[in-house]
Amino acid sequence: MAVCVAVIGKDNSPLYIGGIGTDSSTDNELSRQWLVHTALDALEERLVSSNTNAGNAPANAARTDLRDLYLGLLYSTDTHKIYGYVTNTRIKLVLVTSSTSPSGSNIRDAEVRTALRRLHALYADAICNPFHLPGDQITSSKFDKQVKNLMLNNV
Amino acid sequence: MRSSVSYILSHAPGESVMSHPDYTQEIQHHACLLVLVKGIGGVLKNFNKLWERIQKVNNIKVTDSSGQVRDIWVRYVRDYPVENNDWGDFQTHRRLLGLITLSKFTNQIELNEVCRVHESLKVKYSNTLFDSRAFMFGPGNNLKKPEQEPEIYSAFEDEKLFKEKSSLSDKMSIPSEQADSLSSSESFQRPSSSTTSYSLPEENFTTPSNFKTHAMFYGENDPVLDLEQHVAELINSLFWVVESKRLERSKEKLEKVSLLLAPFEKRDFVGLDMESRNNKKRCMGRVTKNLADLTLQSGLVAESLTQYHSSAEILKSVNDWLWLAAAKEGHCAASAILIYPNLRNSTPLQRNASLQENSPLKLKSLSLYQSNDPFRKFKMGSPQKSKVSSPVNPPSELTPSSSESIETSSRQSESEIADTESLSSDIEYQRSFLTPDLPSIPRQPQSQLHNQYLLSNEDIAEKYRKAIIHYSKYQNAGIIETEACFKAARIAVEQNNSLIASGFLQNVMFINLTLSEQEKIQRFDTLAELYKEIGFLRKAAFCQRLAATRHVSVNNPNPDWRRCYYLMLHSFPGHKLSLDPNYVIQHQVGWPVLQIQLLQEVVVAAKRMVHPALATRHMTFLLQTMWPHLTKHEQRDLAIQLQALSAQCEGGPVPLVLETGEVIPPANLTHVPHCSHFTPRPLPPARTPHLIKLKPQQGPFIFTPIHFGSLERKSKKDEGKMEYLWVEDDICEVQMKLTNPLPFELKVSNMRLLTSGIVFESIPETIILPPDSPTTVNLHGTPKEVGELQILGYSTHTLGVKSNCRLKNMPMPNKFPASFTLEVIPSLPTITIETEVAVSGNLMSNLESSGSVTNISLYNGESTECVIKITNTSNVPIEYLDLSIQSNMDSQLQTKVFQWNNDDLQSQLPIKPNNTASIVMNLYGEADFLDLGGCDNLFPNSLTSNYPSRVGSPVPNAHASLPTQSSNPQNSLSSGLLNRTSGSFRSTNSQTTSWSAPLSVMPPSRGRQIEAQFLLRYSGGGDAEHCRQSTLQVNLELLPSVSITHWDVLPAEIPSQLYLVLDVTNLTSEEIDLHYTENKHILIEGKESCRVPVPLDRCPFNVTPKSNNEDTTEIRSISTGSSNSLELMCSEHITQNVKLRWNLLQSNISGRASVKGITLSQAMIYIVRMSPLNWEVSINKQCMKPQEEYSCNAGECLSLGVSIGNHLARPLHKLCLSVQFYQDYNNGVLNYKLENSVATAGNNKVVLTTLEETAKAYHECTVVFLTPGEFKIDIQCSTTEPISEDPIKEENSSIIQPCAGEISHVWRFIPPVAISVTD
Repeated sequence: MAVCVAVIGKDNSPLYIGGIGTDSSTDNELSRQWLVHTALDALEERLVSSNTNAGNAPANAARTDLRDLYLGLLYSTDTHKIYGYVTNTRIKLVLVTSSTSPSGSNIRDAEVRTALRRLHALYADAICNPFHLPGDQITSSKFDKQVKNLMLNNV
Repeated sequence: MRSSVSYILSHAPGESVMSHPDYTQEIQHHACLLVLVKGIGGVLKNFNKLWERIQKVNNIKVTDSSGQVRDIWVRYVRDYPVENNDWGDFQTHRRLLGLITLSKFTNQIELNEVCRVHESLKVKYSNTLFDSRAFMFGPGNNLKKPEQEPEIYSAFEDEKLFKEKSSLSDKMSIPSEQADSLSSSESFQRPSSSTTSYSLPEENFTTPSNFKTHAMFYGENDPVLDLEQHVAELINSLFWVVESKRLERSKEKLEKVSLLLAPFEKRDFVGLDMESRNNKKRCMGRVTKNLADLTLQSGLVAESLTQYHSSAEILKSVNDWLWLAAAKEGHCAASAILIYPNLRNSTPLQRNASLQENSPLKLKSLSLYQSNDPFRKFKMGSPQKSKVSSPVNPPSELTPSSSESIETSSRQSESEIADTESLSSDIEYQRSFLTPDLPSIPRQPQSQLHNQYLLSNEDIAEKYRKAIIHYSKYQNAGIIETEACFKAARIAVEQNNSLIASGFLQNVMFINLTLSEQEKIQRFDTLAELYKEIGFLRKAAFCQRLAATRHVSVNNPNPDWRRCYYLMLHSFPGHKLSLDPNYVIQHQVGWPVLQIQLLQEVVVAAKRMVHPALATRHMTFLLQTMWPHLTKHEQRDLAIQLQALSAQCEGGPVPLVLETGEVIPPANLTHVPHCSHFTPRPLPPARTPHLIKLKPQQGPFIFTPIHFGSLERKSKKDEGKMEYLWVEDDICEVQMKLTNPLPFELKVSNMRLLTSGIVFESIPETIILPPDSPTTVNLHGTPKEVGELQILGYSTHTLGVKSNCRLKNMPMPNKFPASFTLEVIPSLPTITIETEVAVSGNLMSNLESSGSVTNISLYNGESTECVIKITNTSNVPIEYLDLSIQSNMDSQLQTKVFQWNNDDLQSQLPIKPNNTASIVMNLYGEADFLDLGGCDNLFPNSLTSNYPSRVGSPVPNAHASLPTQSSNPQNSLSSGLLNRTSGSFRSTNSQTTSWSAPLSVMPPSRGRQIEAQFLLRYSGGGDAEHCRQSTLQVNLELLPSVSITHWDVLPAEIPSQLYLVLDVTNLTSEEIDLHYTENKHILIEGKESCRVPVPLDRCPFNVTPKSNNEDTTEIRSISTGSSNSLELMCSEHITQNVKLRWNLLQSNISGRASVKGITLSQAMIYIVRMSPLNWEVSINKQCMKPQEEYSCNAGECLSLGVSIGNHLARPLHKLCLSVQFYQDYNNGVLNYKLENSVATAGNNKVVLTTLEETAKAYHECTVVFLTPGEFKIDIQCSTTEPISEDPIKEENSSIIQPCAGEISHVWRFIPPVAISVTD
C-alpha cells in the first residue's frame, strides 16, 4: 500500500524518510523527498486553519487537544496520494500511497488512518529510547524495520 | 474534484480543440470586452508606453437608451489565438471584439504593408470582430492624413451580416438601436478628426484602396494626446454592438432558438433530432446562458445572475454538463464581480486629480467630446458610418438621433462653452474620462447585492468546484477546465482560503492536455505564482523547479538555460534557502537532500547559461552551506567540481548582480580549509613593549566574591580585546590551526589577515595542507599606523575561490569572538647586543656568546671587565636606555659583582640608527672567604671541643638570607669572659655572625653559579610610555680560590698593634702566591692550607660605628641592632685593613680576598680594640715599649710608674689600679706568690674615685727584686662601675647588672711587662 513514510519534526525538518520501491536508487529517494516536502505546505495550512478555528472559540481550547490527529488526504498527484497525521507535539507523519499500483489505488481512508496510528505508536516507541535526542534523525534500525513492515503488511 | 466519469462524453481531439490556455485569465474577465492590441510594421519606440496608456482605459461608462449608466470593462490582450475565438459562443468573453493596431511606417511601401497586415488581422478574427482602430505613426511630426477610401467594413454592416445570419432578427428593433449606437459613436469621432486636421501637409501618403479601417496618423514622436479618446470610442462602439446583440438575444423566441455549440461538439449533434423535447430544452438553456454572458458583458451584472441561474436549471435537467458547467462558472463570475468589486479595480492606476470639479460631468463623460468643436462635429464623419456618409456630408442617419442624445449633447455643449478658452480643457476631459473613480462609479444598488441568486463566498467555491467537475468530463474542454481552475483558485485567494485554492491548483495537474513545452512551462509558472500567493512556498518551489526542468528538457526544441536558472533561483525560498550563505548556516532549516539537489541543478544551469562566475558562486555556496550534510565522498567530488568551475572563472568575495537586479551575495569557504584555532600572538619577548613607568601597586590584592555590575560589564565589553600591544612598523603574527578536510592535498594561497581600523599591511602566505592533519599557520603583517586594530578574520584562495573568512561567520563548533582588537603603539627601536669580555690574561674566563647568553668563569676575588655593545638596528633613534640586573643573588651582593657607570651610559644617548653604544661592566668574583664550614681537620690543635657552637652552625646561615635572630649576644659575651683567662682565643662564629649571613650565599669552598640577566630597557621615537626590553643572560661561574678557615688575634709586640692569624686554604689545584701584607707573601700549594699572621693596627677606640662604611650600616640595619656593634666595629676595622691578594702562578690570575664578615669573640675584641685607658708604663722613668724586656740586677730598686689616661668621652669612677708581680713558668702556671723574691714600696693598689675624660692619673711605686728570675708585672685597672662604651652596649649589658658592686671590668696592660732579674 504505502510506498513511503516520513516523520517530520515540528520545525519541518525531516526526521525519518523510509520507502519501499522497486528500485532504491537515489533518484527514487529524491522523488520521495520532493513528494513529502511539497506536502508540507498543505499540512501546515491545515494546522493553521484548525488553530484559528480554535482561536475563535477559546472555550473550545480543550477540544483542540482532542482534535483528530489524522488530517486525511493532503494532496494527490497522478501517481501518489499523500496523507498526513500530526501528533500533539507537532510531529508530522506523512504516508504516501501509490495510486498506480492496484492495491494502492482504491485504498480506504480507514486503512490509512489505522496505518498512521500504528506509525504513531512506532514513533513513540522509537523516541522512548533514552539515547535518542528529540529533534534528531531517527536512525533506529528497529524502527526502520517495523515501518517497512507496516508499509508492506497493509498491501 | 475530478469527475469519476472522466472523458465519457468526450471524443478524440478534433481540429477545433482550443489548445492555447490563457493562464492569466481571471474571473472578472467574464464581464470584459476583449480587445486585441497589436503592434505591426516597424518597431515603435514608445509601444509599451502606448500599451500602458491603452490598458488604463479599461472601464468606461455608457449611458444606455434607458438612461441607465453601464459600467463597461475591457480586457486588452497582446495576442489571441484564433482557435480560442471559436469558443466565443460557449463563453462570449472569449470573443475578440475589437482590434487596435499600433504601427509604424516610413514610406509608402511600408504603409501599404501595415495596412495589409491590419486588414489580414481583421480577416483572421472576422467571425467575432466588431470594430478596429489603426494608429499609424509615420515619419516626421506632422502628417497629412493620407487619402483614404471610406471604410466599408463597419459595425453596421457587420451587424447587418450578423442579423442576416441569425434569421431570428427583430427588424423593428434594429434601427433605433443602431441610431443610438451611431449617434454616440459619431460623437466620439470628433476629436480624432480634429487631430488629423491639425497636421500640415508635408508628405502625401495614401492608404491602399482595400484599407477600410478608421486610421489615425501621427508623427512618431507625437504625444498622441487623443489616444485614450480613440480607444474609448472604440469601446463605446463595441458596447453598442454587444448591447444590440444582447437585446436581440433577449427578444428571441426561446422555442425557436438554434443550438449553440462548443467547437468540439459540432460532430456530436450531427443527425440528432433537434426537435426532441430534450434538445429543445438544451437549446433554450444554451441560449439563456449565452444571453447571460452578453448581459454580463454589457454591464448588467445583476440581471445576468438570474439568467445564469435559470440557464443552469434548464441545462441541469437535460444533463448538458458542459454548458451547465459554463453556466455555473458564469454564475460564480457574476457573483464574484458583485461581491468583490475591487477585483476589477486592482489593475488600473487610480488618478483622482480632477475628480471634484468634474464629478458632475461624470455621467456624461462619453459625450464630452461632442462639444469640442461644434463645427467639426459635422465636418468629419465617423469612419464607422462612412459607408453612407462622405467626410463632407454628414450621414443622414446621424441627424435623427434619439432625443436623449441630443439633449445630452446640448447640455454638454453649454457646459463646454465655458471651457473653450481653456487650452487644457482637452486634457482635462481626457483625464476625467480616464479616471475610473471609485466613488463615482455607479455601484450596483444595494438591493442587487441581496439578489436571491447571488452566491455567497462558500457557494462560489462550491459552484466552481462542481463546474470543474463537469468540465472534467470532457477531454476537449481541458483548456476551459484549466482556466476555470485558475480562475477559481484566484477567487479562493481573494477569499483568503488557501486550502480551497490549493485544491483548485492541484486539480490543474490532473488535466491531461497536449500542450507545447512553452505552455507547460507557463502552466507551472502560473501555478507557482498562485501557490506563492497562498503561501505554499514549497509547492511553488516544486512547480518552479518543474518549470525549470521543462525549460531544458530533451523534449524542448529550444532549451532556455537562462529561464531555467532564474526559475531555480526563485524557488530558493520554497526550499528554505537564502542567497546569503550565513543565513542558511545559521538557521539550518529545510531539507538538506533537496537543497543539495537544487543547488547542484542551479550550478548546472548557471554553467549552461555560460555564466561561469555564477556557477562558481553557487558551487561555493553549496559547499559552504551544505558541508555538514555532505558525505566525505560528496565533499571531495564537489570540491573537485568547484575547482573545475573556478578554472573558468575565479570566485571572489564580491556580490554578483544579475540582469534582473538580484544580488548574489558572496559565499566564502570557511570549511575548506577548516580553521580550529585563531589567535593573534604577542610580539616575541625581545620586541614586546613594556611600560616605562611601572604602575604603582594599588595596594594589596583583595579578593571579593561580590561581582560588581560595572566590572562585569567591562569584562564583557573587552571580549576579543588583547592584553598585549603591537608595535607600528613591526612584524606581528597571528597563529591559526588549519585542517584540510578533503582527501587530497590542498593548496591555499594568498592567505592574508582581514583587518579594520588602522592601516595594516598583511603579508600573503601560501601553504599546502596535507589531508586531515592539523597544520599550524602563522600569518604575518605590519601595522602601519598607531591606534586600534581589529582583526576580523582571514582571506584564503583555494580551489580557485577567494574567500573572506570572517570570524563571526565561522562554523559553529569554534567559538571565536567577532574580532580581535589590538592596540598598536608607535614604533620602537630594536637593538642587538654583543658582549665582549676583556681578555686581560684571564685564561679561565671564557666567553661564549651563544645567543644572548654569556658564560663567564671567575675565581672568587677575581675581577674582569665585560663590554656590552648595543647596536640600534631600527630606524628609530634610541632615546631612552636603562640597564638593570636581575639575578639569583640578593641586591647587596649583586652590586658588588656587577658594577657599571650609568652616567657613561646615559651620555651615549641618543643612539642613532645603526650606531653602537657600549657599556663597560665590571665583574668581581665577590665571595665570602671565611670558610665557616668543615676544614677543621686542618688544625691539629684546634679546640673544636671547646666551641661546640662552631660545628654546623654555618649551615643554617649558609643560604638563608634572613639573619638568624636566635643569636644570643650574651652568649658570646659570657663566653668571652669565660675564656678570658685562656691563652688563646679561638675564633667563634656562633650565632653572632648574623650580619654576615647574606654574604655567604655559598660556602667559598665550592663553585657557585650565578645567573644574572641584564635587562636593557630602551625606547625612542614618538612613544614616551613604552619601551622594549632586551635581556642578556649572563652565567657567571665563581670558582673557589682561597678560603680562610680559622682565625685568631694575637697581641703584637707594641700595644697599638695586633696580629691577625689566618688559616688560609688554597682551594685551587694550582700553587698560589698569597700576599698578605705589602711585602710579605707566601706560596701555598694546591689544596694546602697555611697559617699567616697579618699585622694590624688595633682598632682605635674612638672610632664610632658611624664612621664605618655604608655596607656595614646596612648590614646592621638588616640585623636590626641585635648584633654586637662593638664586635661589628672591630670586624669592620679588620676587614678594611686586611688586604689579601692572591696570584695563581700557573694561569697568572690574580685576585683579592677579604676577611669580611669575620666574627670575633669578646676576648678577641679586647685585643683588637685599643684600650679605653691609655697606659704608659715606665721603669725608672724609662718608658716601656710592648714586648720589651727590661733587665736589671737583683736588689736593684726599680721605680715603676703607671700613668693611665681616660680615652673615653666620659669620666670613669671608682677605678682601682693594681700592680701585681708574677712569674710565668711558661707552662701555663703562673706564680703569684712572690713574697720572697719581690719587695715593693708604695701602694700596689690605688683607688681612683674619678678619672675625668682626657685626664691622666699617675701612680708610682718602687720595687726591688730579691732573687734573679723572670718576672712579669701584671698591671690592671678595674672598675666596679658598669662599663658602657656605647648605648647599645649599655642596653645589652643588662645581664651584667647582677654583678654590679663586684669587679665589673678589668683593663690590663698588655702585654705584661717582663723584667728579667739577674744577679
